[in-house]
Amino acid sequence: MASRLFEETVVPHLDAAFNYARWLTRNDSEAEDVVQDACVRAMRFFSSLRDNNARAWLLTIVRNSWYSRVSRRREIPESTAGDHDPVERPDDALDPEERLLQQYTVARVRSALEQLPVDFREVIVLRELEGLAYKEIAAIVRAPIGTVMSRLSRARERLFTLLTPSDSMGRLP
Amino acid sequence: MSCELVERGLTAYLDRELDIDAATAIRSHLTDCMACRRLVGEREALGRLVRSAPYYAAPERLRARVSARTNRSIFPGRFVSLAAAATLLIAAGIGTTVMRLAPAVNITMVDQVVDGHVRSLMAEHLFDVESTDQHTVKPWFLGKLDFAPPVADLSSIGFPLVGGRLDYLGGQPVAALVYRRQKHTINVFVSPSKSDDPADVVRSERGFHVQHWARDGMSFWAVSDLNDAELTQFVRALQTS
Repeated sequence: MASRLFEETVVPHLDAAFNYARWLTRNDSEAEDVVQDACVRAMRFFSSLRDNNARAWLLTIVRNSWYSRVSRRREIPESTAGDHDPVERPDDALDPEERLLQQYTVARVRSALEQLPVDFREVIVLRELEGLAYKEIAAIVRAPIGTVMSRLSRARERLFTLLTPSDSMGRLP
Repeated sequence: MSCELVERGLTAYLDRELDIDAATAIRSHLTDCMACRRLVGEREALGRLVRSAPYYAAPERLRARVSARTNRSIFPGRFVSLAAAATLLIAAGIGTTVMRLAPAVNITMVDQVVDGHVRSLMAEHLFDVESTDQHTVKPWFLGKLDFAPPVADLSSIGFPLVGGRLDYLGGQPVAALVYRRQKHTINVFVSPSKSDDPADVVRSERGFHVQHWARDGMSFWAVSDLNDAELTQFVRALQTS
């Protein structure tokens, strides 16, 4: 049954879809709309899923859905309101002071990532948070592998500058 | 190999996308060159830092919406399953054994339980009475139903009661008790047992887990997107409360 197959192959990647959409839009409700659009499209084009990489396939559709919403509005949404409490994975083994420090670090990383231009931000999210290979990222963002690599490289330069306090150059936890 | 080549291959090296020869060449250069070693170390630390960024999991509401769509709009899945159930009914009629009816009844009931759960999450109508106090929730049903659903407090083991509401299941009014596990919602539908109640059921449907049992003349259906193990823990606790 098609719907069961869809649930078994695509729905398990809903978290990945939402995480990607959330980083693209930087907004909870918009990310939800994007993923919902994407799922409707994914159901419609389910037969086009040829290889077994359902995650990359779904993420491609998420990006297309986001892109068509943005181009319909002719702008890149750049609101910065974070209205969602993300899973910040506090480490229970830490004492309260360390945990506070950890939360501070997570907030700083989140803000640095959100400041990146979307082309850079998405390759970092796909590589560092989803752990995708260059080939998969290239297919999702529709760019040659060389472009993916150079975006990653430039994105990391920027992140390094943003996350390294000027008084302690080169020191990262 | 010069430092320039390390710099050029740095991104792919960090991402383990270099071929073995190139990676080996860089590694051997690193043993000799402190400056490059430092550069790679910094970038590895940056990678660890970036990976501590929030991972946004799909909200339960979205999951419910997608699940509802999967089953209704595009695919004829629902019709297929109804047709299958109808075939089974006919087969049972011809084959004279009534036992074969049982799975069909179960499937329909499981479907309805999942529908009820999804509906409660979508309509934002999770509660008629919102309270974490079993002594508030239980009396609320008095006069609204002709039975008194048992209401347990399981907050001590991490399943706080958050409220209750009236719902319909299998064409009859039921008590829906709402519990939570972190961000997951658990609906427990309670009604008096009927003679055609199925035996205990443990099933997954559309990404939700459903468990059914009967006790003291009451029939229980628990449903959640919670993982199987935790839902089972919850059900055990409810059965022994």
